[in-house]
Amino acid sequence: METEKTIEYRQDKKDRAEMAIEVRDLCIRYRRRKPYSIKKHLLHFKYEKSNVFEAVKHVSFSVPRGNILGIVGRNGSGKSTLLKAIAGLFSPDCGQIDLKGNTVSLLSIGVGFQKELSGRENILLSGMLLGFSQKQILEKMDKIIKFADLGEFINAPVRTYSSGMYSRLAFSITAFLETDIMLIDEVLSVGDTKFKKKSLNKMKRLILDENRTALIVSHSSGMLEDLCDEVLWLDDGEIRMYGETREVLEAYEENEACGI
Amino acid sequence: MKRFLHDFKKYFQYSIVSARSQLRSEVANSYLNWLWWLLEPFFLMLIYAFMFGYVFKAKEEYFAIFIFIGISMWSFFDRMIKGSVRIIKMNRAIVTKVYLPKYILILTKIWVNGFKMLVSFGMVAVMMVIWKVPVTWRILYALPILAILMLFTFGCSCWLLHYGVFVEDLSNVVNIVLRVALYLTGIFYNVSTRIPAPYGKLMTKYNPMAFLLESMRNVLLYGDTPRGTRILVWLAVSLILSWTGIQKIYRNENSYVKAI
Repeated sequence: METEKTIEYRQDKKDRAEMAIEVRDLCIRYRRRKPYSIKKHLLHFKYEKSNVFEAVKHVSFSVPRGNILGIVGRNGSGKSTLLKAIAGLFSPDCGQIDLKGNTVSLLSIGVGFQKELSGRENILLSGMLLGFSQKQILEKMDKIIKFADLGEFINAPVRTYSSGMYSRLAFSITAFLETDIMLIDEVLSVGDTKFKKKSLNKMKRLILDENRTALIVSHSSGMLEDLCDEVLWLDDGEIRMYGETREVLEAYEENEACGI
Repeated sequence: MKRFLHDFKKYFQYSIVSARSQLRSEVANSYLNWLWWLLEPFFLMLIYAFMFGYVFKAKEEYFAIFIFIGISMWSFFDRMIKGSVRIIKMNRAIVTKVYLPKYILILTKIWVNGFKMLVSFGMVAVMMVIWKVPVTWRILYALPILAILMLFTFGCSCWLLHYGVFVEDLSNVVNIVLRVALYLTGIFYNVSTRIPAPYGKLMTKYNPMAFLLESMRNVLLYGDTPRGTRILVWLAVSLILSWTGIQKIYRNENSYVKAI
């Protein structure tokens, strides 16, 4: 369903800008295998055949530096898998992802926290995993703690946090430890109303920065329309449409409305 | 090799900080927790000394210290092996959010359990003073022996980490194997003299843990030099095990995230 206009539009843009993300012909497969166990092996003496499930099928796109790309699609259409692949959690089964040496962080609900450790220690550890030095993190520590606004809880083990507090801390870490490319997986509805507003503003300021490239997965069309330069519509792992924000969103919503 | 060096440099700091935090959080949870690092081996020693010294009439010079050394080293190995089977699942929060070479998780655990082992070796030192064990310069051999123990454990852990992801009931099997190994390693008796010839000697020859334990006791308590060739052989074995383990993890770690 790619119109000539969208292709032209993209081509035009690409000629002008320097790319930050280039994804070519990307496929991600999951082997849906029942967990293997020695017990089963002894009792059955046969392997269960694994069936392959392709979550992302031959997807190609590129994002110029400083741009924001929105990704829409139904549940299970491969959006999160795509983000995880770009974040480097697993390598592609075919195709290529080129980040041009940019640093990347995946912001989804809850960064990897170690539940027994305090919030403060988790800030340090998450930061180091994102590739920052201890010194850099300690410099930003106060800001992060202030923004997360957890009070006494910052020194308590993370397992004692409420889910709202948990995601507030997670958000603050990624928001202050800035990377060149931010992958955002529907986290903008974090915490209570007050924090939601605060984090949305912070987020906007962050990704509207000229040097920051962002990929946003969201179901909220309003927000995508606000922020994105381009939108990619994934349907069952394939690109259904890719181009200017308004056009894609309109087509997507129309399609969704028909679906009901 | 290049990749390993690069990753190792990048994440080494993280593993240290993470280990420190884990130790600290264990202490923070209950005030006397670090005492348990001492009390646990101490009471185990009392039980073993009673069972095997009094009931079964096992006799070794400095029997209490003999057992204590065995327990210290064995529980390090035991904790590491049991832990590494489930380590990916235990760290799910991190593994699914950010990339890190998975053996770094093991390295972190090596520091944590290694520190606990050092604490209980502190206890060994105290006991040696109390029992007035004659100290020779050969106690310096303790260091390379510990290094080999750590390297050997690391190698085994890498392999178990890999299979632990895919084989569901591996931990059941590992528990049984460890229990057998516990009795064959001679924590509370002398393998080479107690198991009838020629099997006793064979045991210290082919069971690395039995060999390491015996060497450690010899250098600390009886002023004997360990066998140089065997030390080198086990060092080589440990290096190969670790190296192939790391390679195995590098080749497969992409699928770990998909599997859990």
